Amino acid sequence: MKFWKFIPIVALSVLSSCKDSLTIDDLENRTVVRGYYNSSQRIEQAVVGGYVDLRRALLANYAWMMYGDARTGDLKVAVDYQQLVVKQELTTDQRNLKQLTDWGYFYDVIRDANDVLDIVNQADPGILNTYQRNLFRGEALALKSMAYFYLARIWGEVPSAEKNNFGLRLSTRESVTQAAQWASEAKGLLPWMLINDDGIESVALTGVRFNKTAITSLLVQEQLWLGKAQNAYELLNTSFTPATLDSLSGFGLSVGIDRRTEITQKPLDGSMLSMSLDRLNAIYPTGDARRTSMFNISTSDKMATLIVKEADVLELLPKREVNLLFAEAAWRSGNLNEGKTYLIKASVGATENYTVLTEETFADALLQERRRVLIGGGQRVFDLIRFGKVSKNIPEFTESDVQNGAANWPLSANSIKSNSWSQNSYWLSKN
Amino acid sequence: MELLPKCIWKTMFLFLTFFGVSRVRAQDTLVVDSVVLSNRIGLENILQGNVAGLRIKSWSGTPGTQSILNLRGLNLDPTDQSTMPLILINGVPIISSPSNITGINPLSYFSSDQIERVEIIKEIDLLSAYGVQAPNGALNIIMKEGKTGAIHVRASAFAGANFLQSMDYRKDAFYNFNTIGRREVYGNGGIVNEQNVIVDGGGDYGSYLFGLTNYQDKGTIKDSGFGRQSLFLNARYNISKEFSAHFFNNLALANRNGRYAGELNRDLLLPVINDESFFMNKNRNIGLISSMELNYQFSPKFKISSVAGLSYEGASRDMYIPSTVLDGNISAASAAYKRQLITVNTSLNYLHEFSDVLKLDMTIGNELRNTDNRLTSVDGKRSLENGGSNYVKVVTGYNASQTNAFSDHEIEKLVSFYGIWKFKYKEDMTVNMVLRTDGSSFYDNKWALYPALGLHYDLKNTLKIPVKVNASIGKTGILNRPEIYRGQLQGYGDYYGGNELGIGLLYPAFEGAKSVGIYQFDAGLAVDISPSLNFSVNYFSKIYKDFIYQRYLPNIQGIDYQYEMGGSLGLTGFEFNLDGKWINKGNFSWSSNLNIAAYRNKVRAMPADIENTSLVYLSALSKGDALTSLVAYEGKQQKVIGNSEPKAFGGISNTFRYKNISASMTLTYAWGADVAAESFTSKYYADNVGNDFPLKNAETPYYTSSTDINGRTIYQGIRQVEDGSFIRLNKISVSYNFGSMFKHMASMSNMEVFVRGDNLITLSKYSGINPEENINGIRKYDLSYTGTPLPSSVVLGLKLVF
Repeated sequence: MKFWKFIPIVALSVLSSCKDSLTIDDLENRTVVRGYYNSSQRIEQAVVGGYVDLRRALLANYAWMMYGDARTGDLKVAVDYQQLVVKQELTTDQRNLKQLTDWGYFYDVIRDANDVLDIVNQADPGILNTYQRNLFRGEALALKSMAYFYLARIWGEVPSAEKNNFGLRLSTRESVTQAAQWASEAKGLLPWMLINDDGIESVALTGVRFNKTAITSLLVQEQLWLGKAQNAYELLNTSFTPATLDSLSGFGLSVGIDRRTEITQKPLDGSMLSMSLDRLNAIYPTGDARRTSMFNISTSDKMATLIVKEADVLELLPKREVNLLFAEAAWRSGNLNEGKTYLIKASVGATENYTVLTEETFADALLQERRRVLIGGGQRVFDLIRFGKVSKNIPEFTESDVQNGAANWPLSANSIKSNSWSQNSYWLSKN
Repeated sequence: MELLPKCIWKTMFLFLTFFGVSRVRAQDTLVVDSVVLSNRIGLENILQGNVAGLRIKSWSGTPGTQSILNLRGLNLDPTDQSTMPLILINGVPIISSPSNITGINPLSYFSSDQIERVEIIKEIDLLSAYGVQAPNGALNIIMKEGKTGAIHVRASAFAGANFLQSMDYRKDAFYNFNTIGRREVYGNGGIVNEQNVIVDGGGDYGSYLFGLTNYQDKGTIKDSGFGRQSLFLNARYNISKEFSAHFFNNLALANRNGRYAGELNRDLLLPVINDESFFMNKNRNIGLISSMELNYQFSPKFKISSVAGLSYEGASRDMYIPSTVLDGNISAASAAYKRQLITVNTSLNYLHEFSDVLKLDMTIGNELRNTDNRLTSVDGKRSLENGGSNYVKVVTGYNASQTNAFSDHEIEKLVSFYGIWKFKYKEDMTVNMVLRTDGSSFYDNKWALYPALGLHYDLKNTLKIPVKVNASIGKTGILNRPEIYRGQLQGYGDYYGGNELGIGLLYPAFEGAKSVGIYQFDAGLAVDISPSLNFSVNYFSKIYKDFIYQRYLPNIQGIDYQYEMGGSLGLTGFEFNLDGKWINKGNFSWSSNLNIAAYRNKVRAMPADIENTSLVYLSALSKGDALTSLVAYEGKQQKVIGNSEPKAFGGISNTFRYKNISASMTLTYAWGADVAAESFTSKYYADNVGNDFPLKNAETPYYTSSTDINGRTIYQGIRQVEDGSFIRLNKISVSYNFGSMFKHMASMSNMEVFVRGDNLITLSKYSGINPEENINGIRKYDLSYTGTPLPSSVVLGLKLVF
């Protein structure tokens, strides 16, 4: 036996010990996430992840209703904790309510959106074409804008989750201003219609992802919230022209299987959303065509159940809101007559004669029509705040309560733990 | 017996029991032929009670299950609670933990008849040489090799039965729940039997040993049982004077069939069913352990050797749960788990004499370790109303639309370099120096360094006293498994008609991850009082540092946590071992072994603001409390209500020989362990009881709090905190050796007949069946993490040597 015959064995052992042999290629080594987003399909998964998290933020515990129409009692959600919400007992020690006071789910959406922006920025040039790059970026900005807009409207002051000013206290105005900036940027990137995997325009896909109609609506809402009616009016007029009429689309959340069990998979199922006959009569007077087109009325049960036209999509920014936005933007910009025209367009089926509205009566009529047209969309409380009518419509609150922050939701224990945040003076007094 | 009054015999029995045997020095090496073997399969059952500091917890009576092995082990990693020592066969690491799929014990793949001895490695100056592979000590199994001679044939066989002594079905049920259905499950008389044939021989060419074994154990659960067949070869071949090769091969087929859902979990959905035994659980394992060692002796002082080892296990399970158990649903599942461990260890050994009195034995080497595990599983569930059938027992193709499939692949690579320097001064003093570095594919910062230094001194020559002292200090580590720090993408929801997957959260991997550091100090004293009586006392102290845990983030972060390292634990202990050969006269001999170990583990430091970490479950513990404390609420305050680990444990063995008759017994004991027994009747949803746990007569005020899948808080009352102390007649054997009768027979050289009993007597105050049956020291209300009753068994056996 010659010594040299051992050389290969020793050499093999030593060579195989170099650092490379300790690195397992990316596919197999899941200790590092890096490198996952290496195709447009995968990047799209991250984008869709933002929608899935937005779905959780708005669907878990019927949040979109609880923050909106269910809080004013306009719609009844068939869960017991709604009673606490209607009574404005929002600091009660109840599991679902506690989750509703937590803003964490909205910040998940913001994180997703910022991750997507990073992923798109860092993606190899060959992975995304221009359409995809613009779409994904636009969707991320739109999701972020929407999340901050919800946060500001639900809680008022909220912390920033942006890298440059993480944790900074943002006033409602600051939040909505930056949300509007992102929405404005997104508007330039998003298409009117989205293209599906087969390369053709898809109405269904456009309806569950941000598109130009939806982002314009969102931006207009934000401008109106900021009191910039003129901007909103110009935006509407330049965006929605006869040429774009065929391309309009609403935006809603696709409802479906979620592995997180706290999310209801069928939020609009059966008779989940209903109102008493008395309230129906109060909101939609006899003769209003929408009584029967929007509700199944059972006189024996004295109940009206909201008809769900599309069970697979929970509409957040419906097409039918565009005329209402036009009406408001025109009126607030000093064009009462144009406002009336759009209000009449928007309120098909109403019994009222809106041609006689004056500068003084227009606001109430518009608020009532928004209530009627957008019922089930979760906008009611936000509208009351924007129109300054909270105490008039929520009997539990005085105007001074509203001044102290009653219209906002209290903060969860999680949100005020180990930081300088505290409840606003109204909710502090309720603890 | 008339020679002495009864009371004297009784006193003698107690005396014999408590002081007494074996030719083993249990601290270092256990010669398997010298101890009582076990009827239950698994190497750990032989070691039980015979090694100071090695705790073997017989938690389950299901045959083929691995008892819990702990050799100075402690861990905080939630994904790897194992305190399992590294198991080596002839120095080669093997896959030794059971897979989650079948739970079949890999230490059952070979027969005790194959084993020559087991080396117990727990002192740091030996252990550091194994690096991160052996944070909990190591057991090196040395297999028998062929003896000189053309051919020897040894055959052995035993057969007997399992039985449950005074089985109280209420103890195994939910404290008197569904005892009728439970009674149908258990039955006495399950057969246990083994047959071994070993052929060996040896000469100048080397040696050979091969054989086959068959083992069957029907346990005490009706229609279930465990079986194992194996073929093995252990051969050494001297290719030339300098060059030799050593081959070891062991191929085993193991199976376990279950018919009882309670083997997995006794929280059945239906309140009462007449017969719980209708259930299918077929487990099949194939285990291969193979190694090849090449040695080349260049000169008397210089040697190179290389060992390649391969340990493979294929585990598969087919399971079916009928509608009677699942309240109208039937469920079927199938899983396969293939694990492989390949190691290559190459080393150079050099002996150097500085002078007549100072010598050096030096080894430097390199070890590669490559683990590759692949798991695939599929399961489906369907209700009878929706077309399920109780007669559907085949998983393949079953109801594909409601089937969940899962596939996972894990690779781990470890590259190590090590050096061992043993300086020997005269015959009196040895200094061991070890340096090992481990590089792991788990971490970004791959390399960790493990040094150790040990001193062993024999005072016999210098101080003329028969005392040996030793002290060592060093470092080793535990691999933090990537499960607890890996990055992850969480795909949560389907979107757009289920066509698109949404990845909701992106967790970056913890790039600062590294292995847990263990700093160990050992000191020992061994005294040879006389050639036939010696004892040793060992002390050790281990400090664990740098565990990985999750730090929960504020809810505006968008992700729930990030990783951090910190925390520190301590483990200290004494081990005492006494070997005595009391009588060795003519026809009669009596020898004993007594070993005791007393360990104490404690929390040394926990991360600040522990409430916001994944270690929140330890928040009730303060510095100095045992990590293994049982913690529960009393009112709104958490407090320590006990400790699941015993204060001390060990074993006592005695062997008597009179002429051709030999009797041996091993008692095992543990005292001071607490068992928190959950109550079956005081379990509440917190919101139903106004968030105040209602106290109940005849139960403790303690309760634990958990959250169900819908986020509702559950209070679970604790019925009592029990003393889990026990002493057990673990193994007893009486044999008759016909040796002298076959002296003149050419074909047969020896024959032995034996009767052997396992677990015949257990003395304990524990209210359940087996004081060791609870894995975590908590007797859960649904008996999860609680084993099936441990049976007793008696067998009659025969050994023949040709």
